[in-house]
Amino acid sequence: MAVTLLFLIVIARLFYVEVIASDSLQQKAIDQWTRELPVKAKRGKILSADGKVLAANAPSYAVFVRTRSVKNVDLVAETLSRLFGVDEEDLKQKINKKSTSEITVKRQATRTDILKLSEYDLDGVYYSTDNFRVYPYGDLLCSVLGYTSVDGRGQSGLEKVYDKYLGGIDGEILYEADLVGTDLKGKTPTYTQGVDGLDVVLTVDSEIQLITESALKKVIDEYSPKRASAVVINPQNGKVLAMANLPSYDLNAVPRDDIQTLNKLSRNALVVDSYEPGSTFKIVTALADIEEFLQKNPKAKSLDYVFSSSRYRLVAGGKIKCWSTHANGKHQNQTLSDALNNSCNPCFTDIALSLGKETYYKYIKNLNFGKVTGIDFSGEATGMVLPESAVTEGDLARIAFGQSIAVTPIQLAAAACAAVNGGYYYKPTLVSEIKTSDGKTVEIINNAYSKKAVSSEASKILASYLERVVSEGSGKQCYIEGYKVGGKTGTAQKFEDGKLSQGKYVMSFMGFFPSDNPRYLCLVTVDEPVGGTYGSTVAAPVAGEIFKGIINAKSIEKFE
Amino acid sequence: MMNKLRLKGDIFIPLTVIFLACFGIVAVYSASGYVAESDYGNPFYYAIKQGAGVAVGILAMIFTANYDYRNYLGKTKWMYIFGVILLALCFLPFLSVEVYGAKRWINLGFFTLQSSEVAKFCYIFFLAEYFSADTSRARSFKGVIIPLLTGILVCVLIILEPNMSITVCVGLVMLAMLFLAGMKIKHFVLVLLPCVALIPVLIILEPYRLKRLSAFLNPWENPKGEGYQLLQSLYGLGSGGLFGVGLFNSRQKYRFLPFSESDFILSVIGEETGFFGTAVLFGIMVFLIMKGVRTAISSSDFFGYMLSMGITTMYAVQVFVNALVVTGSIPPTGLPLPLISAGNTSIIVFMAAFGVVYNISKVSKTASLDRSLKPFKVKFPFKKGQKPDLTSDLTSDGNGNNNSALT
Repeated sequence: MAVTLLFLIVIARLFYVEVIASDSLQQKAIDQWTRELPVKAKRGKILSADGKVLAANAPSYAVFVRTRSVKNVDLVAETLSRLFGVDEEDLKQKINKKSTSEITVKRQATRTDILKLSEYDLDGVYYSTDNFRVYPYGDLLCSVLGYTSVDGRGQSGLEKVYDKYLGGIDGEILYEADLVGTDLKGKTPTYTQGVDGLDVVLTVDSEIQLITESALKKVIDEYSPKRASAVVINPQNGKVLAMANLPSYDLNAVPRDDIQTLNKLSRNALVVDSYEPGSTFKIVTALADIEEFLQKNPKAKSLDYVFSSSRYRLVAGGKIKCWSTHANGKHQNQTLSDALNNSCNPCFTDIALSLGKETYYKYIKNLNFGKVTGIDFSGEATGMVLPESAVTEGDLARIAFGQSIAVTPIQLAAAACAAVNGGYYYKPTLVSEIKTSDGKTVEIINNAYSKKAVSSEASKILASYLERVVSEGSGKQCYIEGYKVGGKTGTAQKFEDGKLSQGKYVMSFMGFFPSDNPRYLCLVTVDEPVGGTYGSTVAAPVAGEIFKGIINAKSIEKFE
Repeated sequence: MMNKLRLKGDIFIPLTVIFLACFGIVAVYSASGYVAESDYGNPFYYAIKQGAGVAVGILAMIFTANYDYRNYLGKTKWMYIFGVILLALCFLPFLSVEVYGAKRWINLGFFTLQSSEVAKFCYIFFLAEYFSADTSRARSFKGVIIPLLTGILVCVLIILEPNMSITVCVGLVMLAMLFLAGMKIKHFVLVLLPCVALIPVLIILEPYRLKRLSAFLNPWENPKGEGYQLLQSLYGLGSGGLFGVGLFNSRQKYRFLPFSESDFILSVIGEETGFFGTAVLFGIMVFLIMKGVRTAISSSDFFGYMLSMGITTMYAVQVFVNALVVTGSIPPTGLPLPLISAGNTSIIVFMAAFGVVYNISKVSKTASLDRSLKPFKVKFPFKKGQKPDLTSDLTSDGNGNNNSALT
């Protein structure tokens, strides 16, 4: 009979829905039955290598209103506006409209405010712990540390790169609620403990960072450049000891409303921007020649080879000329070491053309140009290296003294480290260790060298030549009595819209000491200084100042 | 001329009805308690209303149970006209109560009356008398024109409210009664075809019906929109499992399941009492249907047969359509679970109607005891073995099934 058949169909269907499909349906139903209030995990600290706290948390709270649970709208609006300075009428409207079930009234409220709030015991008002990031040193290391978003997640810099360690896992309080979020009476909320974030220990030394930033401040005051940047690396392990881009901004007052200014100030130009290096790149050409000479390549110039004293070279129909006029006995009868001293362009053109692009490019690749260094920072640029197959004689002649090639400062610094430390290329790093908040090590970031770029002998010879550049050549402004400092200056015209722009320069200086066993290598770049013309006058003194500061701070004894 | 109602009828009919209605009050309380408390400050708001409905329903049932159903004869065309007027009153601006854009209620001041609930039974009464007055009417096409036209009028008025679900129920009951009255199969098909053809037209006419149809085919496509109601119903049933989460412990009733106290009350019952509870409840409802069918079959006259059949069919159609909707077996449509769902007009009218069925069961027993009493000339269009011992009055040979018997 029809009734029996229908009865069986309904019973079968009931059985299917209520018993067979029960688990999956119930799972989905449970999701909608609860509302969670996040309990922010405490964000990890950021510490300098010498144990200074660079980023920490102030105890703070977030205050919410559940519109449906509010009983006395006027009282709630009035109290909250008095305690937290929110607009009373606006809040009242929002609560009455009930268009959102939850309104965030205040983030980063203080403990005192919350204590006051809890005295009122208002229906529908909740608070939970929040993260309020504080940076005890204000603008120190700002372009590297970065900042967090209002809800406490890393938004830029190391705060973002190491967010997964710093952030921890948020806990939650689960409330049983109805569809619109009103809590059910007589049900106890379930509390799930969060996991606090881990502390991140940097390779950066707070003292060296302070020294570096104050040295950069001076050059900013004197030459008003667009930007002055410096990175200090330990060539023995690639650890970044200081990294600074000035002008800076206070991390405790991030200019979030002015995106353009914020983008400019928070930019870690040392890592994310490329520039034409100019003469500092000559160390690559010199190194190539020394290594090839040691390996008895007949195309290499011997170390006592005397270069032509002419100011010009004719290459592929074009004229390459030296920055110096070569008048009054300047740049005459130079060996390789002299050429480095004088930073004489044609000599390096001679070397590159003699070695040929295949041999020369071997060194560009060995020193990792054209590729990211892999430093633990986001947005690293690769620079621009012409592909070997496309390089003409004219290009090669210019690359030899640092034109027709773009590098990032961190690339050049990492390459320079390998060039003077015995030939070991290290990936630069900013973080050395991940710890729990009570100091237990979770992870140590080891930094074994990734490759041997050149022979130790060649490196040693180059380092001694560069020491001579500082003691008697173009790097004299970085000379420090009693210490073996090596270095190389650089001045490059800026490219803008594909053309060399007149009068706009990037002045740079790469220095290191002690030159026979380098512990500190510093690359300074000054973007568009007003007044100074050469890296030797603008950037070298900054490096000198930084090294003097380090010698003072670390009580490094004189060599003699 | 009328015999006295000396013997008791089938007492299981009123007992089952009262049991279901009382269980309905509990279910309505459970399903609506939370919303009632937060909206009206009284968790018993809907339960009390429903209880009042059940009380009135019991009174109405006592009356109809004791009012000889044969006394309706001669009055049913007025009942039909009354029903149509009630339906028409829904469209009067000062009387009509509009909810969710539908004009289904008349405001009587102390009570809002859902016209279609009354009108559908009026139509059943009318049909029952129409066919029992002259049983040959069902066999000619001319004879079924009046039942069709009057039925279509009721349907049109209800669909204009709009209320597609009740329209479909009335339509189904009309077809069932035409069939049971002994309509010729080819005529029946002739009537059935345009009815079936009308369904897609009705669906296309109102865009929301098309959306509901697609939501039924894949509710997960739009779980917050069209698919919401069905998914919430399934969540509730699914959470019930074999034995349920316990009476009053539904979580879906916390506003998650809309219409939890009315059209989707079965979902809450399923959540709280599980498969076991819903299966038992269904068993009881089918038991009541069986009792209604039995009463019809053993009734002493064709009017009683048609009336009991019509009322029982109306109940059965609503029960099954509701269950199939709630379990997601057919596209969702708003139809209360009779005798259980909140809704005063529905509970009163259904209880009164089952009182009539009980009254029919009384008369039939009396009649079958005293075979000399043959109050009506009736013709029974069903198998010989099933009918009461009244075949001597039949003009046909009484052989074959209910279709061939009349050809």
